[in-house]
Amino acid sequence: MCNCDDNHGASPLLPVVGKVIKIVEETPDVKTFHVTSDEGKPFTPMPGQLGMVSLLPVGEAMFSVTTQGPDHLEFAIKKAGTLTGVLHEIEVGQAIGVRGPYGNGFPIDLFKGKDIVFIGGGIGLAPVRSMINYCVENRDNFGKLNIIYGARSPEDLCFKEDLFENWLKVRDTQVHVTVDKGDDNWKGNVGFVPAFLEEINPTPENTIALTCGPPIMIKFVLQSLAKMNFQPEQIVTTLEMRMKCGVGKCGRCNIGSKYVCLDGPVFTLAELNEMPSEY
Amino acid sequence: MNQQTARMREIARELLEKKEVEMVIGWEKGTFFYNSTPVFITKPEDADKLIWDDYCAVNFAKLLMDYRYLDGKVAVFVKGCDARGVNRLIQDLVIKREKIYLIGMPCPGMKDAKIAAKLGQEKEAEVPLEGKCLYCTHPNPVIYDVLIGDEVPVEIREDRFARIKEFEEKSSDEKAQFWASQYDRCIRCYACRNVCPACNCRSCVFDQNQDWLERAVDRSGNQFYGLVRAFHVAGRCIECGECERACPMGIPIMLLKHKISKDINELFGEYEAGLDPEGDLPLGMYKADDPDEFM
Amino acid sequence: MKSLSKANLPQFLEALNQSSQVYVPVVVDGTSRFIPWEQGAELVLDKNSNIPPKYLFFPQTEDLYGYKIYKQSGERTELPSAMEPFVVFGIRPCDVYSLEVLDDIFLTKGYEDVHYKQKREQGLLISLGCLEPEATCFCESWGLNPLNAPTADIMMLDGGDQFLLKAQTEAGQKVIDSQAGLLEEFQGEPPVGKPCTLTVETKGLMERLQPMFEHAVWDEISRKCINCGTCTYLCPTCYCFDVLNKTRGEEGIKYRCYDSCMYPEYTLMAGGHNPRPTKKERVRQRFLHKFQYIPERYEGQIGCVGCGRCIVKCPVNLDISRVITRLWEVEADV
Repeated sequence: MCNCDDNHGASPLLPVVGKVIKIVEETPDVKTFHVTSDEGKPFTPMPGQLGMVSLLPVGEAMFSVTTQGPDHLEFAIKKAGTLTGVLHEIEVGQAIGVRGPYGNGFPIDLFKGKDIVFIGGGIGLAPVRSMINYCVENRDNFGKLNIIYGARSPEDLCFKEDLFENWLKVRDTQVHVTVDKGDDNWKGNVGFVPAFLEEINPTPENTIALTCGPPIMIKFVLQSLAKMNFQPEQIVTTLEMRMKCGVGKCGRCNIGSKYVCLDGPVFTLAELNEMPSEY
Repeated sequence: MNQQTARMREIARELLEKKEVEMVIGWEKGTFFYNSTPVFITKPEDADKLIWDDYCAVNFAKLLMDYRYLDGKVAVFVKGCDARGVNRLIQDLVIKREKIYLIGMPCPGMKDAKIAAKLGQEKEAEVPLEGKCLYCTHPNPVIYDVLIGDEVPVEIREDRFARIKEFEEKSSDEKAQFWASQYDRCIRCYACRNVCPACNCRSCVFDQNQDWLERAVDRSGNQFYGLVRAFHVAGRCIECGECERACPMGIPIMLLKHKISKDINELFGEYEAGLDPEGDLPLGMYKADDPDEFM
Repeated sequence: MKSLSKANLPQFLEALNQSSQVYVPVVVDGTSRFIPWEQGAELVLDKNSNIPPKYLFFPQTEDLYGYKIYKQSGERTELPSAMEPFVVFGIRPCDVYSLEVLDDIFLTKGYEDVHYKQKREQGLLISLGCLEPEATCFCESWGLNPLNAPTADIMMLDGGDQFLLKAQTEAGQKVIDSQAGLLEEFQGEPPVGKPCTLTVETKGLMERLQPMFEHAVWDEISRKCINCGTCTYLCPTCYCFDVLNKTRGEEGIKYRCYDSCMYPEYTLMAGGHNPRPTKKERVRQRFLHKFQYIPERYEGQIGCVGCGRCIVKCPVNLDISRVITRLWEVEADV
């Protein structure tokens, strides 16, 4: 019934029990977990798709797959609630349940041949990173990449290796980093993301903007993009909602008649403008 | 239209016209003859929706919680049980007395809507009083700013502990069996909690994001819920009977509440909650000469 | 059409019960629900059950899989799932239709809910038409027929001292054939039913509501709601569920159970953000889900079957039929 290539098995609610093979401490409250299973990579998501991660005795929660390798998936997880609190205590070797991929992912065809402005804030860079890395791997299919990222403080910046090394080596790629509040060693920009974005002032011509971050940042980023003449069809974002099943059955992640887990989490601003503002 | 209804509308209209209150909470006629349902009046011209009849059983006290941060005042009609519910909220520091205007309604007892639905309007005369009204000890509001009509004579139709005395005769096994079968049909909709003026906590151990009770609906979980809630409102339960009235499964919840009230009376002396917003709570105060020796 | 003498009903049920578990509506501690049939059971056939038979297909609490954990290791274990055929006797047309709504939800749009599907495939429906709908019934307003559930395997009507039975599916015909000894050919006129006394306007309701998301009427409608889960838990079409863990030592079970959009925690995220923070948003969600979102998502499907259970049981008489009337009454662009 499902038109994706994965075999959903007997019940779409059954996870694969894999293993955590690496944990990277990104910030004081964000860790990236590398997960694999006996059969290799638990599933192969497209950028922007989601995975349901579970610690068997604790619970499940939905996270974006921030990137993937040939044999593993990566989830960058901020400590926020019960499950994530326990996740932050586990060590390499921990058995972990994963199921997916869920959701629509970023509209690759919309991005093809265009310049892309990536605008991330805090842990919101996690889903954005899946698209950035996809562009890096398929570099010829996309135009210039302009990555704009901000966090509360220098130590709250996620994926520092990508920001300050890896992505800088990619051709036609710029990385702009800002923090709300600097420290003694910080030499970069200090200020909020929307103002920083306006300063950089990317052209809307043949460009798609992709943004994800805290709701308040997104709100002002959208205003800034509008000021710079980005049209709603050129703006893509990915939403977060409480989810339980991941397959459009359990009810809670709806916005109007759309389920974020199934029909989202990625929407263009044009699509969002047609939906009730309940997210 | 009865006299009370006319007077209710008059008072509500005046309060709203003079902008003394932002809202008046009362009853309007519901779907069927046996439904009188809460209505929230904000415009003087809507005051004519208000009614007073035999089916105004819903206790409004809990609904006041939604308006505690309003700038202005809210007026609310209170029967005896509602007034005690308001006292509950005042004493628990949930709402401030000066933010509410209480219009007292001496209450002759409300009719049982569930039985009325079964009997139909032709046999309305046969509809008995709500269970909760039979054991009511305070039909007249214990706190109000204005009273509509005269106080009604206090007529206690049933000793509120009568059911308990009977129940206490049972053996432990019989009691356990009884409660197991009662709570086996609990669907954990939390209507009893949500309608209860004593269940006014900001967050509750039974909220689903708390880990104290699994959401699986089973015998032990259901009984845990019923018991913990009963104990948590112990000494604060105003015995309005709304939990039992609201329960879609007809669980005799007041039996638990009355058992606890009876025990409190026996251990700490005669006490009825919600009569006075200032009084000491039997289980919520410290005394050096507490009769319980562990102190 | 066949007839079954009421005196022979226990024999009929006993015979069916030999091959499949038969569920019948019975009052248990004051609440009517469908439970396994036993000799001597007193069936409630004059009114619909308090608890909808939905739970035979989608139980309030349902185990999904087991797991074992030891230190860092863990494995998922299968639970026994021997699903035997069963019969639901006396299910009303509104509740039969509610299963069609659940079919759309659980079995379409890319994923099949196997837990529901297994039960749906095993359940045979013998529906009893309603000759005299209750005062709270309004199935006709949704285009349903209280006398007929087209997708029931057998449709049944009360004909005084006998039941009149008509097979509507192959499986239903098999049942009729297998009980031929108890059934007689019925030649007379089937009884005529009374219409629902409660009616609401449902035509064009979805289109009406589409521009009303921000309407002030939601504030008004939601005010008396106490945000309990009664309406959702007793609704035959409500299907929202939570997925949770039950861990005992080194073993555990992953299960799901009914959830309700009335609860604030339903949409509350770990970081503290809640897209539906007050009862206005939650009550709006319940009604728009039924009247707009389900018809939009499942092409013309209805989200309410007019069974009236929520009208009967709501502690504050927040009546779904009056809500619909109110939604038509108010000026659309306020």
